[in-house]
Amino acid sequence: MLINILETAFNLIITLNDDLFEIINLSLKVTLSALIIAVSISIPFGAFLVFYKNKFQSFIVLIANTLMGMPPVVLGLLIYTLVSKKGIFGFLDILYTPTAMILAQTLLITPIVISLTYEEIYKKNKEYDLLLNSLNLNNFSKLKTLIYECRYALLTVALTGFGRASAEVGAVMIVGGNINHFTRVMTTAIAFETSRGSIELAVALGLILLLISLLITLLIKSLRKIS
Amino acid sequence: MNIFPLKINNLNYSVNENTILKDIHLTCEKNTLTIIAGNNGSGKSTLLKILHGLIKVPINTVRWGDYSTSNIKINQSMVFQTPILLNRTTYDNLAYVTKKKNITEKFYVEKIIEKLNIKIISDINAKYLSGGERQKVAIAMSIIGSPKVIFMDEPTSQLDPAYKNEIENIIVDLSNNGVKIFLTSHDISQIRRIGKEIIFLDKGKLIYHDCIEKFFKDKHCDLVNNYINYG
Repeated sequence: MLINILETAFNLIITLNDDLFEIINLSLKVTLSALIIAVSISIPFGAFLVFYKNKFQSFIVLIANTLMGMPPVVLGLLIYTLVSKKGIFGFLDILYTPTAMILAQTLLITPIVISLTYEEIYKKNKEYDLLLNSLNLNNFSKLKTLIYECRYALLTVALTGFGRASAEVGAVMIVGGNINHFTRVMTTAIAFETSRGSIELAVALGLILLLISLLITLLIKSLRKIS
Repeated sequence: MNIFPLKINNLNYSVNENTILKDIHLTCEKNTLTIIAGNNGSGKSTLLKILHGLIKVPINTVRWGDYSTSNIKINQSMVFQTPILLNRTTYDNLAYVTKKKNITEKFYVEKIIEKLNIKIISDINAKYLSGGERQKVAIAMSIIGSPKVIFMDEPTSQLDPAYKNEIENIIVDLSNNGVKIFLTSHDISQIRRIGKEIIFLDKGKLIYHDCIEKFFKDKHCDLVNNYINYG
C-alpha cells in the first residue's frame, strides 16, 4: 500500500499536477512575502537593539525571545479576532485571504528573526567594538559594518525564518480558511487531504516540504561553513 | 594642529569600586617612543584606552596640547594585543579603513601594502593569516591616514622572535618618522631595545616616568628591580 501511495505521489510531482503546483506556488508566494517583510523589519531592528542600550533593550529582547516559542494556533486566533468582521481591523476585509496568511507568517517569524539577529550582531559587536570605536565610527557606520560582517549568519537567520514559516499550519489554517484554489497552501492541504483520505496528494506535498527542508538545511550548513 | 605635550591631570578610573588608575599626573613630549610598563593588572591597557578615547574620562583630565581626546581622535589609531581584523582579505581590511578615513588618494592601499611588505598576503582572508601576519596587517591598518599618535597594546607578546624583530623594526621606523608611539610591554629586553621613555605603573599608580637610559641606571624599589631582572 505504501509503495502504491509513493508511486502515485511521485507521479503527481513528475507529471507537474496542476493542483499540486498551484498549492506549492501559493505556499512559496505567501512564505517568501512574509519572509521579505519580516527580514526587512527585523534585521535592522535586531541590529539597532544592540546599540540601543537602556532598560527597554533587554525588555524588548526578552519579549522577542518569549514570542519565538509562541504556538502558531494562538497567533492565528489572535489575528483572527483582530481581522474578523467584528475585530478592530475588520474593515480591512482580509480574513480568509492570502494577505491574512502573509500577516500571520510575518508575525510568527518576526520575533525569531529579531532575536537571532540580535544574538549575531551582539556577538560580532563584542568582537569588533574596540576596532570600530578606535576608527571613531558613528553608530550607523558601525551597524552597516556589523550587518555586512554577519551577512552569512543573517542569511542563515532568514532561512531559519523561512523554514519555520513554510512548516507552519495552525495560523494559516485559521486566518486563511484553507479555501481551494485561493488560500490552500502545502501544510493546510496536507492536513485537509489526509482527513478526507486523499493520502497521495498529501504525501506528494509532504515530499516537497521535506525537499524544501533538506535544501534549507544544506544551505544553512554551507553558509555556516563560509561564515 | 599641535597636539603636544600630552598632559594628564589627576586621572582616576574605577570599575565597580575597583580602582584601576589612581592620581596619575604626567606630561609627555613629542617624538619619543614611550613604553608603558608594569605588572599584570597595573592599568597599562586601561591607560592606553583612556588616552585613545575608548574609555571616557572627564574632559580636562587628558589634554593633547589645547585639545581634548575626542577632538584629536582622527589623528590617533590603536593596535590591539590580539589583532582585530574584519572577515575579509588583507586588501579589503585596508581598503575598509581607508574608506572610513575618507582617503580618496588612488593606490593608497597599494602604497601601504608595499610599505609593510605584505603583498604576498594581500589577497588572503584575514582569518587564514598567522599571528605575526595578522599583527602586521593591524599595524598597516593603524598607519592609514598618517596618524600622529599610535597606541600599541603589547603588539608583539604573542609573536615568535622573527616576527617580533620585524614588527619592532616597523615600530622604530614609525617613531623615527615622527609618529608618537605609546607601547605597552612586559618584555624588558624589548623595552631596552626600542624604548626612549618609560611610564611604570603599579596597581594603577604611576611610580616612574623618565627616559629609558635613566630607568635602567636608577635605583628602584624591589618591585621594579624584580620587573627589570625577570621581565
